[in-house]
Amino acid sequence: MKIHIIPMLLAAVLLSACSPPEPPQLKQGTLLPSAKAVADFQLTDHYGKPFTRENLKGKWSFAFFGYTHCPDVCPTSLAMLAQVMRILEKDNTLDVLPQTVFFSVDPERDTPELLEKYLPYFHPDFIGVTGDPQQVLLLTRQLGIMYGKAPGDNADNYLVDHSASIILFNPDGNFLALFGIPHDPGLIAQEFIAIKNYYEATR
Amino acid sequence: MKALIMAALLYGWSLPATADPAILVENAWVREAPPGAQMMSAYMTLKNTGPDDIVLASVESPAFTMVMLHKSVIVDGIARMSHQDDLLIPAGGSVELKPGSFHLMMPAPGERLRSGDQVEFNLIFADGSTTRVQAGVIKKP
Repeated sequence: MKIHIIPMLLAAVLLSACSPPEPPQLKQGTLLPSAKAVADFQLTDHYGKPFTRENLKGKWSFAFFGYTHCPDVCPTSLAMLAQVMRILEKDNTLDVLPQTVFFSVDPERDTPELLEKYLPYFHPDFIGVTGDPQQVLLLTRQLGIMYGKAPGDNADNYLVDHSASIILFNPDGNFLALFGIPHDPGLIAQEFIAIKNYYEATR
Repeated sequence: MKALIMAALLYGWSLPATADPAILVENAWVREAPPGAQMMSAYMTLKNTGPDDIVLASVESPAFTMVMLHKSVIVDGIARMSHQDDLLIPAGGSVELKPGSFHLMMPAPGERLRSGDQVEFNLIFADGSTTRVQAGVIKKP
């Protein structure tokens, strides 16, 4: 019996090596059927330098959309993304680490100077991006990210309702996957690796 | 004059509060805010050990100019914060103030609170009773 099983196994291995890889099965993430190109946008990072579509190229990017006046959901999500980074930093198979970008959906209050103070608290490599509200809208509309001002406890203290999803851009700068809430850093790190391996195997 | 006000404040603060023995507060903490953050949040679990529902009407703190009761909700992937006028703690039940749900929101004080600092909150219930709570400032990983 043994002699029959081994060639069969061998054939199965060879067959699977030749057929195109299956998309990864994801619990937390949603992979787009095909990566979506993003029209150019002109924003500013927390160092005061331009941040455009070009800054999303050459490496993987996690993007989160929030605002610094948000005391609950946004710090929770940014701390979670810092945990994802710490997990990935220990992974020796990664030649280049992904970047994490916080796009402000409250650009009137979130200046580059404020983001420069705020973002490194979570992780020294996190990038804060803000700028012209029209440009923020131009980018977010393409990604299905929604946000809007909501009245706060007084006029200067408005709140911003916003999509809590995390967007993953591939190294071509294209929108490839998103991670819905509730976020689990271990699962996001694991699924990021699965998505990256699939992307590299299907290029 | 300043000393007089301080003394009055301290005296006012040290007046014995009508503690509500039916409410047990556990795990009270304040999230250390990043530099530049204008708002902070605090969390705790309120347990009602009594036979009657209790309504939390407002919260005060000597550390903050204002304490608001908020709730974060996620509807269809959109995070929203809504102001709560009060909070019902059902008889024999408990309400957890936790990230992504009910929380206290406070404007960050001029001098940044750091992990290890202690803050006091005074919970004021609809029946006029009050409970004081000590909460440590914590940096969440």
